[in-house]
Amino acid sequence: MAQNIVTEATPYRTRPTMPPVLRGFLWAAIGFLVLNMATIAVDPFRGHPFITEISAVIGWVGGVIGWLLGVGGWEGVVLPLFGVPNPWVAAPGWRKYLELSTEHKVIGIQYLISSTGTFGIAGLLAMGIRYELMQPSLHFFTYPDQYLTAVGVHGTLMMFAVGTVALVGGLGNYMVPLMIGAKGTVFPRLSGIGHWLVPAGVLTVIFSPLFGYWTTGWRGYEPLASQDPSGIIYYYLGVAALTLSSTCVAVNLAATIVFHRSNGVTWARLPLFVWGILTVSLLNLIWLPEIQMTFVLGLLDRLVPFNFFDAIGSPLNYLSLFWLFGHPEVYIVVVPALALWNEIIPVMAQKSLFGRSWAVIGLIFVMMLSGLVWAHHMFTNMRNSEMFPFSFFTEMISIPTGFSFLAAIGTLWKSRYRLFTPGLLVIMSMFNFLVGGLTGVFLADPPVNLEVHNTFFVVAHFHYTIIGGMVFTWVAAMYYWIPKLSGRMYNEFWGKLLAIVIFIGFNGAFSQMFLLGLHGMNRWVPAYPPYLKPMNYEVSLFAFLLGAGFIGHGIHLWWTWVKGPVTPDNPWNGRTLEWLTTSPPPPENFNGEVLVTGSFYRYDIDKPAAVLHPPE
Amino acid sequence: MGEVVGFVVVWIILSLLAEWGLSAVKAHTLYDVIASQGFLAERAFNFLATWLTPVFVFVVVYLIYVLIRFHAPNGKPERSRSQFIRNKGFVAFWVGFSFFVNILFWLHPTSADLEQMFASDMPSRNHGDLIVDVTARQWEWIFSYPQYKVTQAVNHLGEDELELPVGRKVEFVMRSYDPFHTYDVYAGVIHDFWIPAFGTKEDVIPGITRYEYIRPTVLASYKTNPMVRVQCAEVCGPGHPWMEAPVSIVTPSHFSKWIKHQQTLEAHAGG
Repeated sequence: MAQNIVTEATPYRTRPTMPPVLRGFLWAAIGFLVLNMATIAVDPFRGHPFITEISAVIGWVGGVIGWLLGVGGWEGVVLPLFGVPNPWVAAPGWRKYLELSTEHKVIGIQYLISSTGTFGIAGLLAMGIRYELMQPSLHFFTYPDQYLTAVGVHGTLMMFAVGTVALVGGLGNYMVPLMIGAKGTVFPRLSGIGHWLVPAGVLTVIFSPLFGYWTTGWRGYEPLASQDPSGIIYYYLGVAALTLSSTCVAVNLAATIVFHRSNGVTWARLPLFVWGILTVSLLNLIWLPEIQMTFVLGLLDRLVPFNFFDAIGSPLNYLSLFWLFGHPEVYIVVVPALALWNEIIPVMAQKSLFGRSWAVIGLIFVMMLSGLVWAHHMFTNMRNSEMFPFSFFTEMISIPTGFSFLAAIGTLWKSRYRLFTPGLLVIMSMFNFLVGGLTGVFLADPPVNLEVHNTFFVVAHFHYTIIGGMVFTWVAAMYYWIPKLSGRMYNEFWGKLLAIVIFIGFNGAFSQMFLLGLHGMNRWVPAYPPYLKPMNYEVSLFAFLLGAGFIGHGIHLWWTWVKGPVTPDNPWNGRTLEWLTTSPPPPENFNGEVLVTGSFYRYDIDKPAAVLHPPE
Repeated sequence: MGEVVGFVVVWIILSLLAEWGLSAVKAHTLYDVIASQGFLAERAFNFLATWLTPVFVFVVVYLIYVLIRFHAPNGKPERSRSQFIRNKGFVAFWVGFSFFVNILFWLHPTSADLEQMFASDMPSRNHGDLIVDVTARQWEWIFSYPQYKVTQAVNHLGEDELELPVGRKVEFVMRSYDPFHTYDVYAGVIHDFWIPAFGTKEDVIPGITRYEYIRPTVLASYKTNPMVRVQCAEVCGPGHPWMEAPVSIVTPSHFSKWIKHQQTLEAHAGG
């Protein structure tokens, strides 16, 4: 927000003495050492090493605080809290992405960079996993727990730093205020500090193996976690930082949507993507604290130690607590993607959105039902009587999910659909998510589930929903909005070619995993019976193609950002508010007051949905 | 209207072709099944696949149809002449069909099969089962046959093995703990007892005794079919991939011989 940024020459120091990220690392190290030593000092059992499991936890808290203050939290959050104005001028150029910011567009780009970087790291781990699985025995990883740690870090990062973050913290932060005609967000400092929890969490998870390989995968199942070496602690803590970041985003964006809509943006006119972000924010506000408390229990179970989740307590409690969050989580990932389909399709088709209210009802009912289905992850270990309600709700949730297809299909009928890269990727994403959704119906049936649970059938199913649904839509949305983010246009040939590459790579790899699962390939194995090798070998080849395709998209989007040809403000002829302003938008989003008078999704009306009154 | 009829005709023809393709592979959708519960799962799988095939074909044909029939040839923003935002008939069909099909699936196969599954677990239906005690530890499956006083069945290499007579119902009594380290509460983790060809699996959880009832109906052996193996299906630490054991489904007479052999082995063990 502008009031936090001093734009004129001031008597204050205008720049920190060292780059904020560097200072962040330094202060993190200091914070860690201070709290670590404080813990050691009060340790009643002297003679422990300098870093113990307990001091590592408390030291980590100091490290994160140091990091947040170092990247700009001291000047941007703490000093203003005590009435001292922020002495910083926002850095010019690319440097503003490497320090605390309070402007939602900068924060959005920061989240996108963090998510993309994490996607690259976790994707490389996936390549390592697939390389290992080209042979039926250990040949790439040295130890099986090394492989299991790779799987765990891959899953943890992809879920908590990419799936939950890219469309919400990234595009949500950037686009939601623009789409509702707001000049900023309600809690800009909270939002700014929230982003810097992502690198903290990601680094914590990436370096967790230094404290010992943990073997549980991203779910941290007990009692196995109690047995694991200390690395598991940094899994809990890394996830704590990442989920806290998403909580900040949820608070900020939900409040912004409720309180900062411009004149005429009524609930009935609210754009689809904004509905998606609002429902996801509510899901985040309900379920992220739940998983954080679960991980606190897991951590205490280990450190104290309690016996919450072992044979003396109840392992099943941990499973329920985990999936109580874990299943809403997949809707947290995919609901913004479903909303984006119906944001992009009407623009590409230049046709009025069909059944808008059904599309919104679908998102809301998915949100509400998603908390009632968790135990379908536990058909192999629950009481028989519990199978009825959970299979019922799991089958029913496909109905509101289908409403997104209903609206998209109705809109596409008899349209003049422009097959630009975003349009093509949305169609591909619909196909992929269809496969993911329909295989979910099989998994909802307990007798079938009992055979394919914990096999590659499930691995294929959820990658179809998450890569196929969310990541494909993320790429589509990046192509759709890159002209708005940068004022520049991508290359249509490369965009389409790379879209086809990832489509072939993705489907080639994951469709065969269904067959592998049905043929007896279980999960979490760096070694498997040799009869499964040929198909695994093929899957890996397609997976490498997929990885190369994603790298290609990254390079192409980067090229667009830096060197793409300059494009007009509204290249797609869209009607939503982000297209009303310049590309990229000015610091306060709109040069004037926005007044919305019509629907964003009616292409039978010539009058624009909104007007921009220039400042007087 | 002509457009709708054309699409529906294409959809019906391709759905019929897809159903024909499905019917050709129906006997092997779960690859190899050799036990009662597996046939139940395979029938449910095929029932769902039969109903979902036209749904899948509908959306796929539709998306391809859009790419061919409804794309703007030159990429210029051009508004369609038909700008409808609602169509009661289509919405009623869509919502009605999705409620119908989901409730159908919950009644059949889900509820019908669950009733059948639960009934086969009832004590009254399980007199005279072959009882096999299954102990899961990191990382080994131990099979005991208490009715025959066999505490740990092994093959000629001393590896754990599971052998069952064809056609006789089996009651697996499953526990997860380490019989060699009973003092260590952290030694027990969740395992999962899975024989892929049986078509079902069940978690083995520390602190709980769990049961699985199943009737193998086909002669089979790990030697000829690698799906006839016990495989741990829940991650249980670094040894997880190797937590497997060979299974053989044999004739009753062969089974009696095998049991006698196991009893002889145990009688001489430690001697």
